[in-house]
Amino acid sequence: MSSNKYFKHEGPWSDASDPLMCSDTGDWRTKRPIVDKDKCIFCGFCAIYCPIQVMEMVEESYFSPNLGFCKGCGICAKECPKNAISMMPEGDFKK
Amino acid sequence: MTDKKKENLTKVMDYLKHKDPFSKGVAFCPGCGLELLLRFIPQVIGNDIVITGTPSCSAPVLLGQNNQSWHTLSYFGTLMTGAAANATGLARYYRKAGIENTVVCFNGDGTAADIGFGNLSGAAERNEPFIYICYDNEGYMNTGIQKSGTTPYGATTTTTPLGSAHKGKNLRRMNLALKMAMHKIPYAATATLSDLDDLAKKLLKAKEAKKRGFAFLHVFTPCTTGWGYAPENTIEVCRRAVKTNYFPLWEAVNGKIRMTKTVKKPKPVSTYTELIKKFAHMSEEDLQILQDDVDYEYCMLGGLSLLEGECQLPVSSED
Repeated sequence: MSSNKYFKHEGPWSDASDPLMCSDTGDWRTKRPIVDKDKCIFCGFCAIYCPIQVMEMVEESYFSPNLGFCKGCGICAKECPKNAISMMPEGDFKK
Repeated sequence: MTDKKKENLTKVMDYLKHKDPFSKGVAFCPGCGLELLLRFIPQVIGNDIVITGTPSCSAPVLLGQNNQSWHTLSYFGTLMTGAAANATGLARYYRKAGIENTVVCFNGDGTAADIGFGNLSGAAERNEPFIYICYDNEGYMNTGIQKSGTTPYGATTTTTPLGSAHKGKNLRRMNLALKMAMHKIPYAATATLSDLDDLAKKLLKAKEAKKRGFAFLHVFTPCTTGWGYAPENTIEVCRRAVKTNYFPLWEAVNGKIRMTKTVKKPKPVSTYTELIKKFAHMSEEDLQILQDDVDYEYCMLGGLSLLEGECQLPVSSED
C-alpha cells in the first residue's frame, strides 16, 4: 500500500504504518461549513457540539473547521447562536 | 478585542482538560451523537481509562480493524451477555495489582437494558468499583435498527414495522436509569448531549463515586440513521427531549433522586416527535399515549425526588 494516490491518510482496510488509523472523512461531505469571521462571537458552541471535534480556534478570534475530516453534518451551523456558519453545497467548490 | 471575545467562550471548554485520544477521521455516520459522546468522555475524565464494551455501533471504532487502532485508549471487547461481569474482573484485577485507573463499561441500550441486564444488576448489587455508561439510542442500531427495551411507544423499527396489524412498537419503554438508581448504588444519573456541562459534571461525579462503588450513567444519544432525522438536528433532538420531559435529567446518590434540570413549562411531546421520522405515522391518540407515559414517568421521578425535600412536585402539562 505504498502508492495510495486517492487518500492522504491510509484507509482502515490497509496495513498502514501510522500508529493510528485515520480515514479521509472529509470526502463524505456534501455540504461545506463556511464561517463568517465578523459574525463569530467566539462562543465555542460549534467546537463543543461538533461530533468530530474539528472546529479549531484561529488566533483566538474565530473558529474554523478542519476540512480534511469534517463530515458536513451541519450541527455547527444549526447550533451557532449568531448564524455565523452557513452550509454551502460541496459542488460549488470543485475546481 | 481578543480578551473581550474570550469572555464569550462557553464554560464547557474548561472541562475539556485532556487530549482527544481518537484519530480525526473515524467510521461513524455524519452527525452521530455517539461520536461526540465517545470523544467527550476521555477529554473530561482523562485518558487513563480502560474501556470494555460489546458489539455495538461503538465497537468497530473502539476495537479497531485488522491490526490497527482508531484511538490510544485501552479497550477490551467482550460479549453482550457478560459485559458487566467482564468489567468486574478488570476492576478487581486493577485493585489487586494496585494500578490506579478507571474501568469504563461502555455499552448500548441493547446490552444494558435487554441482553446484559442480569449481570449489570448483579454488578450493581455487589457494588463493583467501575463506571457503567449506557448510550441510549433506543434500539439495536448497529445490526439494522431492531427494537429494544428502551424503544418508546409508537416508534417504528425493523422488528416493529408500520403495517395493517401494528403501527410501531405497542409497548412502553422501560426506565433503565431509574431501575439502576433503585439498586441504591453510589451514583446513577441521566445525561444528554445538549447539556454538555451537565454531562461533564456527572462524568466527574461518577469518577469520584467509583471509589465508593458502582456508578451508572444513562446518556441519551440520538441516532440520525436509525431514527430518520437530518444530521444537523442531533443536538436539537436532545434539547427537545429535555424540554418536553421525554428525557428528564436527574442524578441519584445512594438512591436519593435529585433533579439536575427542571423545565418550568414543559412542551407537548409532539414538539419532540415532529423532528423524527420513526414517529411520523403517529396519530393524536398515539401521541396522547406517549404523552401520558412521559407525564407518568416524570411525576413518578418528581415524587421520588420530593422525598429528599429539594425539589417541588412537577406539574404535568395538562394542568
